[in-house]
Amino acid sequence: MTQIQSRDVPVIELRHVDKHYGDLHVLKDISLSVGKGEVVVIIGPSGSGKSTLCRTVNRLETIDSGEILIEGVPLPQDGRQLAALRSRIGMVFQSFNLFSHMTVLDNMILAPTGVLKLNRKAAKDEAMALLDRVGVADQAHKLPAQLSGGQQQRAAIARALAMHPRAMLFDEPTSALDPEMIGEVLNVMTELAADGMTMLIVTHEMNFARRVASRVIFMDGGSIVEENTPEAFFTQPRSQRALDFLQSIRN
Amino acid sequence: MSLSALLSEYGDLYLRALLNTWRLTALCFAGAFAIGVAITVLRVCPVKPLRVFGDFFVQVFRNIPGAALLILLVYALPRLRVLLSYEMCVIVASVLIPSAFCSEHLMSGMNTISPGEIEAARALGLTFTQLIGRIVIPQALRSTVLPMTSLVVGTMLTTALGSQVPLRPNQLELTGAVNYINSRAVGGILAFAISAALYVATALVIGWVGGRIDRKVRILR
Ligand SMILES: Nc1ncnc2c1ncn2[C@@H]1O[C@H](COP(=O)(O)OP(=O)(O)O)[C@@H](O)[C@H]1O
Ligand SMILES: [Mg+2]
Repeated sequence: MTQIQSRDVPVIELRHVDKHYGDLHVLKDISLSVGKGEVVVIIGPSGSGKSTLCRTVNRLETIDSGEILIEGVPLPQDGRQLAALRSRIGMVFQSFNLFSHMTVLDNMILAPTGVLKLNRKAAKDEAMALLDRVGVADQAHKLPAQLSGGQQQRAAIARALAMHPRAMLFDEPTSALDPEMIGEVLNVMTELAADGMTMLIVTHEMNFARRVASRVIFMDGGSIVEENTPEAFFTQPRSQRALDFLQSIRN
Repeated sequence: MSLSALLSEYGDLYLRALLNTWRLTALCFAGAFAIGVAITVLRVCPVKPLRVFGDFFVQVFRNIPGAALLILLVYALPRLRVLLSYEMCVIVASVLIPSAFCSEHLMSGMNTISPGEIEAARALGLTFTQLIGRIVIPQALRSTVLPMTSLVVGTMLTTALGSQVPLRPNQLELTGAVNYINSRAVGGILAFAISAALYVATALVIGWVGGRIDRKVRILR
């Protein structure tokens, strides 16, 4: 890919994506693009299809029709090519999902050594630097279950970063956390955004969204109802449904 | 015969039989374990015919009585021009049956793995082989140490099939040794009790070791 292309082509692009779960039309004609360095925040009521959308981007969920392109290239169907593509998109889950039988450090180096074929020493050094960056280097030799939720989630973010992803997907990364731990995770994400990481974030943290988002996407019933700047979305949303939603969460 | 008479006359035979039982158990469990892991991988792999084969294998060997399998091996294989020694027939039967149970334990161990961890592994770009080898099998093994411990004991008891075929005296295992003794002397119930005590003692040691390993590798969640 040439320099010019890589500047113009969105990192993540969905074109007219549809998906059903049986009779449930869970994604309805979704088109969306995330440019390099953009932070796109997806907001919407529970059950509106936010997680499903997030998970189609690296094909953890398949789609019925439409197209998904990563840096201009359609998602591979399966096999090694799909695995290779997934390795370039970081994903952070609500439930952390650190590998419970491995230390935090082993969690960090599994994919860099196994997928990127880095040697152990190099992977370890980088892992420690990343754990330090998210503030959990002192937990490296513990098992996930010995860490607090906030520490686990920061380690999970570091684990994704160790793959040098082109973009990061976050699916409600703070929803499983006790309130006093939410801030430490949002801080890490805010720094990532400031460093220019391309991010697609599903969250209910409105202040964070307003502060960090380049764009806000409001979903309801499987459709994108509104796409707006954070300022405009939070002060004067265009759609009634967004207005209702914002009011309901403020109360 | 009294206990002391039995032991003085047949002590060496018991000792050799005990060692043979241990050797058969170790050998057969190792084989059962390797095949059990391989069959389990087939049962969860993306290729449908392999999954079907894996399930079929387990259904067959989980449900066939050991004695029936042994008879098949001893009488049917020669017709297919496969000639195995009697001891080898016992070993094959004592590998295949426990391998099916090993796979069943691993499948239930897999159910304890959090689906989120599988997704995280896929999202990191691990291939199917890496996912199985680094996440699924290790976690399944670590959560099934206790059933596997029982399976080692079960494998030991299966090796008693050795008493159903004519083995040379130096090949006899604990149950075969009882038959041997009772065919030449009146050892009676006592001859059997000695073997039984050796089985039980071995099982206790296996259970103790299994418990230790379980406490060491059990996964904190
Ligand atoms: N694997 C699945 N099978 C069937 N229905 C599903 C599945 N996953 C999600 N759904 C349904 O799809 C809808 C959207 O779910 P989701 O994307 O998780 O919404 P959100 O993340 O916005 O809360 C919900 O109604 C949910 O019940
Ligand atoms: Mg969700």
